[in-house]
Amino acid sequence: MIDIDSRYGPFSGRVWGLVINFGANALALYGLAGFLRDGTHLVHLTVGPIVTVACVLLLARPSS
Amino acid sequence: MTGNSDATPQTQLSDLPRYPIAEAVSPAELEAEVAELDRLSNSSPLRRGWGYLRLGGPGFIDAATTLGAGTLTASMLSGAMFGYKTLWLIWVSMGLGVFMMAAAARFTCRGGFRLIVMQNRHHGWIVGSLMTGLLGTGAVAIIFNYGQYSLGTHLIESLAPMLGFEFPRQINWVVFMAITSFITLNYGQRGKKGMVLVESFMKLCITVMLFCFGICLLLVGVDWGAMVRGAFIPWLPAGVEGIDLFVASSAAAIGVMDWVLFQYAGLARGWGRKHETLARFDILFGLFLPFVLINFLVVAVFAGTLHQVGGTHPETATELAGALAPLLGPTWSQVLFYIAFLAVPITTTVGMSLAGAIAIHEALGWEPDTSSWRWRACVLLPQIGFLAVWYPRPVWLVIAIAAFLSLSNNIVGWSFYLLLNDRKVLGEDRCKSYGWNAGILTLICLLNAVALTYIFNRLGWWVR
Repeated sequence: MIDIDSRYGPFSGRVWGLVINFGANALALYGLAGFLRDGTHLVHLTVGPIVTVACVLLLARPSS
Repeated sequence: MTGNSDATPQTQLSDLPRYPIAEAVSPAELEAEVAELDRLSNSSPLRRGWGYLRLGGPGFIDAATTLGAGTLTASMLSGAMFGYKTLWLIWVSMGLGVFMMAAAARFTCRGGFRLIVMQNRHHGWIVGSLMTGLLGTGAVAIIFNYGQYSLGTHLIESLAPMLGFEFPRQINWVVFMAITSFITLNYGQRGKKGMVLVESFMKLCITVMLFCFGICLLLVGVDWGAMVRGAFIPWLPAGVEGIDLFVASSAAAIGVMDWVLFQYAGLARGWGRKHETLARFDILFGLFLPFVLINFLVVAVFAGTLHQVGGTHPETATELAGALAPLLGPTWSQVLFYIAFLAVPITTTVGMSLAGAIAIHEALGWEPDTSSWRWRACVLLPQIGFLAVWYPRPVWLVIAIAAFLSLSNNIVGWSFYLLLNDRKVLGEDRCKSYGWNAGILTLICLLNAVALTYIFNRLGWWVR
């Protein structure tokens, strides 16, 4: 299991997690905008929320 | 922003100097308060609750500050347009904010550190002094106080004829300025008394809002079934309007200024480890409950009046209040409504002035001395809003600040989350609750969504 409190390059795992979560949020919203506009972007609309939920579940773990 | 990486021991908290404003509270007063907290922890729930209500304060200051012209206008519009259907958004949005406020309480009571100083040290000057202090709180206090002045002076002008005299805005702004300046300048003066005066004033105003809006609702009548459905069954307008409403409402109930104000107001009271239960009670019963109840009342009053009338509705708070007044019936009920509504911009001006002064001092590394001219100048800066009586707000500045807030609130949220989970910052007092972290992260996702919809709008990617 990833130790989110360890450092990976310039940042800790928690910071990387927040960055990835932000990207996933963007993907979800981009997919939502496309879906509402013309019913497309279903892949973005599926992947974005899944990664968001995964990030939240992972980052919510308190440090040991 | 590096987050924590190793397990070096935390700063010796006992070595941290007290926040200068807390020097106004004598050690004997603080010890007596801690002794009373100990007594209350062993007493009956009712007695404990009353005691905590009496000792609490920063939560009430936060509630009175966040219940401003913008929040109330949103509630009035919501009630007029959608009836009771969006009531659930109020407690959901404030409920999410509570997780972040609990982090602020932890920083105060267990960390004992000054938030912006700690952010500067761990996450850099841009996140701490600039995003949280100067722009996220200081600039907001100054620029957004135009709206409070505009609303406050309009309300006094509308209220005066009901009491039998004329009092135009071009004159009554002096009264608005005198009241808000007097209360604000008392903070930190005459030992603990100045702080108690400000906190008591905020508590009184919240009580007035609850009482007067409550009476108005009784006169208007309540559709209990629709109210309960609106409070617990999520509903949003169809399409992108619903998403915009959800994202904006859920992330905007409380923001960076509220987090900062609560953290520093607790420090100013000298709160320590034994105050954390009181701080949490203060968040729930001083901030969450009054905020939700007052917004519920306002939404319900407009749902029972303007929503029933139908048609198009005015969009400014003053026009909405003007449209509502005749529907309330007798003059005394209109007076009650205007008095309650007037308490809104007055308390927000007081709270924002304090938050702004605290943040500017922290961001620039100045020690806050409430009897200094520098403090007085900073705390009175938002009073420049009196110009709203003659001139509209500087739109370009409002747009610039709003854009900055949209793009930076989430980063400050990240900073809170990282501090709360950083062993180097809080040691064994860091967050150990999965649910607490999950709540903060959910709010962060919504703050991210605010930033992203702003960017998408600019790029033309959002649906219109």
